[in-house]
Amino acid sequence: MVSRWADDDEDAALEAQRKKEKEEKKRAKAEKQRKAEEAEKRRQQQQQQQEAAAESTNGSSERPSKRRRLSADQATTTEDDSASQPRPLLRFDAPSWGPARSVENFERLNHIEEGSYGYVSRAREIATGEIVAIKRMKMEGSEHSGFPVTALREIQTLNAARHRHIVELREVVNGEGGKVEDVYLVMEFLEHDLKTLMEDMEEPFLPSEVKTLMLQLGSAVEFLHDRWILHRDLKTSNILMNNRGEIKIADFGMARFCGNPPPSNLTQLVVTLWYRSPELLLGTTTYDSSVDMWSTGCIFGELLTKDPLLQGKNEVDQLSKIFELCGIPTEEIWPGFRKLPNARSLRLPRTTQTTGSVIRSKFPFLTTAGNALLATLLSLNPAKRPSASELLAHPYFREDPRPKSTAMFPTFPSKAGQERRRRQATPNAPIRGEGKAMGDVDFSGIFAGRENEDVGGGFQLKLI
Amino acid sequence: MAPITGLSHLVNPLATPDQLANSSSQIDGVPGDLEDSVRFEGVKLIQAASVLLRLPQELAAEAIVIFTRFWVGSEGGSLIVNNAKDVASASLYLTAKPSAHPVSPRLLLTTFEYLDKARPLHSVTSRNSVQPEDCFLSEGSYHAARKVLIKTEAQILRTLGYQTHVALPFTLCINYLQALDAFKDQHAQALARRAFAHLNTALLSPQLLYLTYQPPALATAAIYLAAKEVEVKLPGDEWWEVFDLDREELGFLVVAMMSMAGFAEEEAVKWGKRKVPLTADEVQSEVEKRRLLDAGE
Repeated sequence: MVSRWADDDEDAALEAQRKKEKEEKKRAKAEKQRKAEEAEKRRQQQQQQQEAAAESTNGSSERPSKRRRLSADQATTTEDDSASQPRPLLRFDAPSWGPARSVENFERLNHIEEGSYGYVSRAREIATGEIVAIKRMKMEGSEHSGFPVTALREIQTLNAARHRHIVELREVVNGEGGKVEDVYLVMEFLEHDLKTLMEDMEEPFLPSEVKTLMLQLGSAVEFLHDRWILHRDLKTSNILMNNRGEIKIADFGMARFCGNPPPSNLTQLVVTLWYRSPELLLGTTTYDSSVDMWSTGCIFGELLTKDPLLQGKNEVDQLSKIFELCGIPTEEIWPGFRKLPNARSLRLPRTTQTTGSVIRSKFPFLTTAGNALLATLLSLNPAKRPSASELLAHPYFREDPRPKSTAMFPTFPSKAGQERRRRQATPNAPIRGEGKAMGDVDFSGIFAGRENEDVGGGFQLKLI
Repeated sequence: MAPITGLSHLVNPLATPDQLANSSSQIDGVPGDLEDSVRFEGVKLIQAASVLLRLPQELAAEAIVIFTRFWVGSEGGSLIVNNAKDVASASLYLTAKPSAHPVSPRLLLTTFEYLDKARPLHSVTSRNSVQPEDCFLSEGSYHAARKVLIKTEAQILRTLGYQTHVALPFTLCINYLQALDAFKDQHAQALARRAFAHLNTALLSPQLLYLTYQPPALATAAIYLAAKEVEVKLPGDEWWEVFDLDREELGFLVVAMMSMAGFAEEEAVKWGKRKVPLTADEVQSEVEKRRLLDAGE
């Protein structure tokens, strides 16, 4: 007797065979239909041509007069009744849809980096020779809840965000051989990311260059916020740059649409630690575009010095670094911060001496306007941070030195274009589902022992 | 696949004439009217499920548009291959997932199980003999159903080229009514309600109105028709041109919207107490049955 399993295999093979045949039949049928239609069209055209030819040979004496009359008619109608003229109506070019292509249409060239939600490589489209970046989506948890919600949001937000300074999503393609588990995003390729670029630079960007970069970043963030998209992972390694001095925001793995008022169940496990705002660290579940503005402030500081501004080792350390730089929150500065989930364990020093912001002294070469901008972006109170539109209108961008033209930017050798890049230890974006770990962070140790520290004789050197 | 740019809240991807002329199901031998019936039933199922799941209507509408797009064109899904029921539940699951109202697979599958048992559906609240314990999904069948749900979701995404953008006419409709100063009228509320009703009904249209017309056109036609019915006077001039709709298209849309009631009644008479086939096997046997009937005549 044949075993049941062998039977099954055969069945599956048969099934596959049948399916294949059917697919082919279907394709052939569609093709046939199309051909028949084309032939019909061609026939009609020919007929028309023949008729036209016959007419032109037969009735050559008649036609010119007819034509003349027609044009005269038109001339008179346009003059007397302009009301009946068709009014111009707005029409959109409606796109259509079709099945996703396969990644086999692309030839992989080299690996670029691993983002928070996928692996990125440089590739060439075989048909056109165009260089693109291909990102493989991480499909973790897809056996439980299907296509990852983060991947879905990344595709939807990127599709909704076509902007000069946002990386362009060209298409989404399937894995090799119809492997359904693999999904790839095909995006435009840019030579650099700001993080790797700055690591190799001897000196930080010039003030005029920082302004141009900040204006570009600000315009992209304004565009996103206008469309109700929160990026939630702005950082220098997610900002790509080409050799023409243009930057583009990439990696929308954390992005989502939000409304006003914002949904009340947002995860606080967003934004890479060094760029994460204090309200997120304190565990808020309702936040808005101001979390992106905090990250923008961190990026501003990083562009000025080429070093990340607040390099905390963990949530507790990050928050203490923030308080060291921006001062200690009080009820006046930030009403209601005490009510945030993780603020309960927070014990702040009583001394008023330590409450002020030291941003000014950290950036001695920044102008007053620049300092003011950085200080408002890094406001502890999210409501005090400027919107992206306010950022763009800030006087800092209108004072000398003026923003440098992108055409005047220096060019750099591209690491992504040629070789494997050296990765430095920067923390990754938080992983979804690890929310529990954030639940009971104990901030009580931050300023512990501060009161017992030796206090100097009251002499302070202050840079203004 | 061209991307949606700029005014994404006004623009939907539309079906091409080629896609409308050749559906995968018809190539597989499913008669056009059976295809319409199955699609109609599937859409009703999504609408009913989202009412039971207390989802906002815009999610239901988005899911219905995604569901309808799936079956269009020679490269779309075929009723002989895919279970319409599974595509319906996966469309709703896929739409709700990234929204502010995600639905768990278990809740969704149980709801669809109930609705499938309670068919033929006349209204969500209509009485039926389905007992709660009939809809209970055992652990085994739940896992199997979830697997199918996930597989179908992936297939929908691949078939649509991961293009899940749906622009809806509802807010535009309110906007246009405001622009027409219609809210000053004492019957304004009835007018808005009626216009919304037409927009919701158009989701069920066998003419695939949401796949062939942009939201502004749908909103304008719904207002026109509602105003006629509620007898609210709108500007005498050709006000629809302000919303970029010409007379001919307006006429077509109004006729299409008005024909919905007749279509629904015909369907009800046609199927009576029978259930419209919602799985590939059922559709296949219905096709066979019709073939035999035709041969017998």
